[in-house]
Amino acid sequence: MSETKSTHALEVRGLVKKFGPRTVLNDISFTLKRGEILVIMGGSGCGKSTLLRHLIGVLKPNEGEIHVLGTDITKLDDDGLAKVRRRFAMMHQFGALLNSLTVGQNVALPLLESGNVSESIADLVVKLKLELVGLTGFEHLKPSEISGGMRKRVGMARALALDPELLFCDEPTSGLDPVMTAVIDQLTLDMVHKLGITAVVVTHDMTSAFRIANKMIMLFEGQIIAQGTPDEIRNNPDPRLQQFIKGEADGPIPLKLSRDDYIKRLLSVD
Amino acid sequence: MLLAYTSLTLRAFASIGRSLSGRSTLRVHATFVQMVNVGVNSLPTVGLACLFMGLVLAMQSAGQLAQLGATERVADLVSFAMLREIGPLITAVVVIGRSGSSITAELGTMKVSEEIEALEVMAIDPVRYLVVPRLLAMIIMMPCLTIIGEALGLFGGWLLGVNSLSLDPLLYITRSLQAVDLKDLYTGLFKSLVFGFLIGSIACTYGMEVRDGAEGVGRNTTQSVVSCLLAMLGMDAILTAIFFFAT
Ligand SMILES: Nc1ncnc2c1ncn2[C@@H]1O[C@H](COP(=O)(O)OP(=O)(O)OP(=O)(O)O)[C@@H](O)[C@H]1O
Ligand SMILES: [Mg+2]
Repeated sequence: MSETKSTHALEVRGLVKKFGPRTVLNDISFTLKRGEILVIMGGSGCGKSTLLRHLIGVLKPNEGEIHVLGTDITKLDDDGLAKVRRRFAMMHQFGALLNSLTVGQNVALPLLESGNVSESIADLVVKLKLELVGLTGFEHLKPSEISGGMRKRVGMARALALDPELLFCDEPTSGLDPVMTAVIDQLTLDMVHKLGITAVVVTHDMTSAFRIANKMIMLFEGQIIAQGTPDEIRNNPDPRLQQFIKGEADGPIPLKLSRDDYIKRLLSVD
Repeated sequence: MLLAYTSLTLRAFASIGRSLSGRSTLRVHATFVQMVNVGVNSLPTVGLACLFMGLVLAMQSAGQLAQLGATERVADLVSFAMLREIGPLITAVVVIGRSGSSITAELGTMKVSEEIEALEVMAIDPVRYLVVPRLLAMIIMMPCLTIIGEALGLFGGWLLGVNSLSLDPLLYITRSLQAVDLKDLYTGLFKSLVFGFLIGSIACTYGMEVRDGAEGVGRNTTQSVVSCLLAMLGMDAILTAIFFFAT
């Protein structure tokens, strides 16, 4: 089988997703080599989280193939999917911590449930991973007792608990202060460079994106409008891309209606 | 919903089967936590409800039986009705209102806040992790609660009989014991076991099937209570027919 030989950690071909009549992802194709960091960028609501949810097997595409660590996950049953899932980890946009457990128990959960880690080792790993995200001493608090940014970092610690081969992060740094953002970015880089894992990071923080990316994808209304190395993206002439990178309000990205359009809509005359 | 119910119940039993055959582990500690939740914490309410029902049964039957000049038969009637019907029924109603609704709301909230999705992505089966402990706790605790409820219900009847109908305390007890046989007790407990299974599985299904945020949690919790009540009463009719009517 190609499982172990494949040099691609991720290979997506012709992914299409419709919610009802609305096409949210349209013909998405890309590959990612092992040991690289892919950054997925795009405006709010363009389908970044939806794309990520396909990569982790939560959503099934209407069309297309998704190869994760050498296996096409669109064709797997629950058991097969669980097998692949044991090799990767996900940091959710809002943490997705179990509210009934403490911070420490949340980080320990994947360890203890994997069935081959004793409680004392899990305890140690929890301390180590929480230290990595700057949350030493918060083990005993409940998720409802910590801030949104802290919850995210706990989510990161939990994702790293089992040393995954492939790490998915949905907006790991939005809502964090600049120092913490740099810490998380450095952590991602360290994981990739020192442990050789592969990472997929969704973000709309451009500083952070260019700091960590080996490869970038720009999504716009469910389509990839540009992909390549950070340099290629920086020099891409597409005005939508340039507007996004520079963070300008005026440009081809239709955020607001023009004055005339606005009056027309308001009075609903064509 | 029926499809979701069947599939979840089958998955739960498959998961229990895998645990029993040693291919995965049962979450024993979590099951005990749930047993405390649905069982021990329901005890005061179940006890009080059954005590009141015992009093009511005795009062209602006293009037009728007095006309026949057989007031001492209150003991027969209370113990008979309590063991066969009222005990399991009142216990189930209390547990549906207290624990069935809270299971649906809890699982529904976890669903809405993406906790269940996160479990799946960590390759942790939510059925094994969340549903099985709740279902087992329901099945185990319902008969336990019922038997305690029945005891308090009988005590309620005795209280009224002795104090208001001036029946002899000891005679009341012997009459009660003579009026019922073992079959009355164990069919009642069997009913409560089946009720426990129904409440647990229905409440979990409505929880796992929540859509559309907080509104969905509220809607499914209401639906869960209604479905549990109807399923429980329907099953009661079927089991009563099997045990006491058809034979
Ligand atoms: N379950 C769903 N049913 C219907 N539409 C959905 C569903 N999930 C997402 N969408 C739609 O898909 C689009 C993309 O949503 P998505 O959450 O992927 O955006 P995003 O790029 O992650 O945005 P943000 O940066 O704000 O997190 C949105 O327009 C949303 O309305
Ligand atoms: Mg998103």
